[in-house]
Amino acid sequence: MFKYYFMLGVRSLRRNPALTALMVLTLAVGVAASVSTLTILQVMSGNPIPHKSDRLLVPLLDNGSLKGYVPGAKPDDIQMTYRDAANLLASKQGPRRTVVYGIEGGIEPERADLPVVEVSGLAVSSDYFAMFETPFLYGGAWSEKEDGNKAGVIVLSRLQSEKMYGKANPVGKHVRLHSNDFQIVGVLDTWNPIPRYTHLLNGNGGSFNGEDGIFIPFSTAIRIEFGQSGSTTCNDHVTPGYQGFLDSECTWLQFWFESKSASDRVAIQNYLNAYAGEQRKLGRFPRNSENKLYNVTEWLDYLGVVRSDSKLSVWLSFGFLLLCLVNTVGLLLAKFSVRASEVGVRRALGASRAEIFKQFLIETAVVGLAGGLLGLPLSFLGMRIIADQSANLSVVPGMDWMMLGITFLLSVSASILAGLLPTWRACQVTPALQLKSQ
Amino acid sequence: MEIRPIFSALLRNKTAPLLVAIQVAISLAILTNALYIVNNRQAVSVRPSGVTDESTLFRLAIIPITPLNFNENIAQQQRAHQILKGIPGVLSVAATNQMPMTRSGSTSGVARDRKQVKSTPASDYYTSDSLVATLGLKLLEGRDFASDDVLESDPALSNEYPKVVILTQELARQLYPDAGSVIGKPLFFGTGNDAEEVRIIGVVERLQSVGADSSARGEYSTILPRRTDFAQYAVRTEPGQRDRVMKEAAEAMRKIGPAAVTIKTKTVAADRSSRYRSDMALAGLLVTVSALLLLITASGIVGMTTLWVAQRRKQIGVRRALGARKIDILRYFLTENILITTGGIASGLLLAVALNQLLVSQLELTKLPVNYMLAGAGIFWLLGIGAVYGPALRAASISPATATRSA
Repeated sequence: MFKYYFMLGVRSLRRNPALTALMVLTLAVGVAASVSTLTILQVMSGNPIPHKSDRLLVPLLDNGSLKGYVPGAKPDDIQMTYRDAANLLASKQGPRRTVVYGIEGGIEPERADLPVVEVSGLAVSSDYFAMFETPFLYGGAWSEKEDGNKAGVIVLSRLQSEKMYGKANPVGKHVRLHSNDFQIVGVLDTWNPIPRYTHLLNGNGGSFNGEDGIFIPFSTAIRIEFGQSGSTTCNDHVTPGYQGFLDSECTWLQFWFESKSASDRVAIQNYLNAYAGEQRKLGRFPRNSENKLYNVTEWLDYLGVVRSDSKLSVWLSFGFLLLCLVNTVGLLLAKFSVRASEVGVRRALGASRAEIFKQFLIETAVVGLAGGLLGLPLSFLGMRIIADQSANLSVVPGMDWMMLGITFLLSVSASILAGLLPTWRACQVTPALQLKSQ
Repeated sequence: MEIRPIFSALLRNKTAPLLVAIQVAISLAILTNALYIVNNRQAVSVRPSGVTDESTLFRLAIIPITPLNFNENIAQQQRAHQILKGIPGVLSVAATNQMPMTRSGSTSGVARDRKQVKSTPASDYYTSDSLVATLGLKLLEGRDFASDDVLESDPALSNEYPKVVILTQELARQLYPDAGSVIGKPLFFGTGNDAEEVRIIGVVERLQSVGADSSARGEYSTILPRRTDFAQYAVRTEPGQRDRVMKEAAEAMRKIGPAAVTIKTKTVAADRSSRYRSDMALAGLLVTVSALLLLITASGIVGMTTLWVAQRRKQIGVRRALGARKIDILRYFLTENILITTGGIASGLLLAVALNQLLVSQLELTKLPVNYMLAGAGIFWLLGIGAVYGPALRAASISPATATRSA
């Protein structure tokens, strides 16, 4: 009977095109709005590295002064000082660890008449690439030895390499950056984690936009006094000069540990507490506040990466879908009420109330399917528009199976929900009354 | 017009009117809050930055690929000044470290007394020329910097600080709420023994912070006279000349040498639209959804009324046969519709307040003012009447003869 009812449903759609169009359109728009805002919200709050997110940890130390400090308050900055970063690097805690800071500059053109190549990226330790599982197109990362030697080596992103060298393999070539020579040792394949969780506080695009074009060793960046592109917070007197800056309590570096397993986290936490204790003996960390460790999802939460605007959009869309639902109920009522005589005939011929219920419910499901079909391209359009407008999302989420499924599921369940009342009404039709002429 | 019969007729067949009322309620709740948010964002994005005539101002930054030492930097600044002043159409040039609404720059804590514990964060603008003149800031009290106020110092060698400062009116009020004039009073950068003491010599009406925050912080800025190693220039041009001058300036600066440089230019107008882009995007989304809400509610009313009319053809026919005029039928349906929408609006207003409460607690919105609710109610009354007019007219033109025939 299911196939028969399905066909009946499709046929009835054609019977009153205006009403059908209105119903399907209303449903499609409501579903499209909800699905597009929901997908964008999901992408923004998704876990960029789900299989490893609980093993990548950010330490948060508080080196702030006691001036105006209310116990329990958050640290002034999420970054750490050079002194602490260097010490944590040297600690060899966990199988891997890295420092990260943003850099921006210009690569000298090979000929004087060519323009400077503007680049932005990160100064990191050699472990960075393995820790965040960056894919390589050519070559590979530099080694720990090169970290130690403060070597002039550089890794390019795929986009950056193509901009400068086209499709050729540039490994081995040299570039001149910040008055220093750098040899290209690797080129990353396309890598766009959403959000850019390794370095959220960055000066070249923000959490969801832009990409890092170059990567150089942290030790080298310090050796050549490469300025930071990002945010620096200094609370106390800073001795002038670069060395003074390195020795100061200014915070400007981000740090990541990798732990062997979730339980290894405890060991790193203990190390952190012991380290803070030692530093307190030297007169630092006067606040003596809790030293925290955050894994990737906790870190994204702490920083409030997902803006309230995205959440507002989702709520708005669901409120809109609710309206569309109520509207559909009304339209379905109208549609079914004119078929009262048809129902009367079927009932007189022996159909039970349950059969009528099934028939009309399947009919609403057909409406839902039609709404879903129309809603799919509308959702894609909606996501495109929202992502473009907000300048917040450079990678437009694609139409994947998950989204396809959700669209149809939402559309069909919305229309079935809307159809319950009209269908129940249709079943209540008394055959006798309907069969009396007109 | 008898309300009772209409009312009891509605009560007997509750479903359709109830559905319309629910749609009106949901739409009203969402619409009032959405329009409120749009208005808020709109208001934030048109706040003046303090810069006069933003359409003739742009900023230009020179980024050397090899960092220059201090003396090379100062020499480059002097060359840059000369080159820029030489371009036709340039009215004034000021070297500065940051510009408002760019969300990139420096903030320092300031206080009125070094013994204070908490300081107020304010954007600190440095300039070796006159930001007041180039940006067109309105000086309310005191004076602008003179050339001997400008401190020339290498931050790598010394921490020497300028002696005088100009601040914004809001910051002055925040720090010295009781004082009449703050000219001559001290301002401390930082607190404690290390705090730098400077003397206030001028107050400008407005200069937004680099972040142009929507809170009070957005109006707290200080200007310090200092020549140091920044390489950004604010350039004021003659009206209509901005784009040409910007192009020529970028070309000229590229050859400033000795080493290769990257030139970045951006107009203040572009800074403004970048700063408010996501606010405007959200506003756009909300306006679109509001329009769709009205459309869908209207279509719901039209649909329901058409069905209603179709179901009561006979009744209408009988009434007309008994002597009702067309206008009576019309009035009947209009009154009925007003009753339904009023019911919807009443519950919609309650829902709007509830939704607003939710938004206030979850998404940092502020309380919905009453006039939005009144405006929303008015819109939906009008919408209801407008939507029902068509079907009501059609109902009124039902000829009694054909309607009362049974077939």
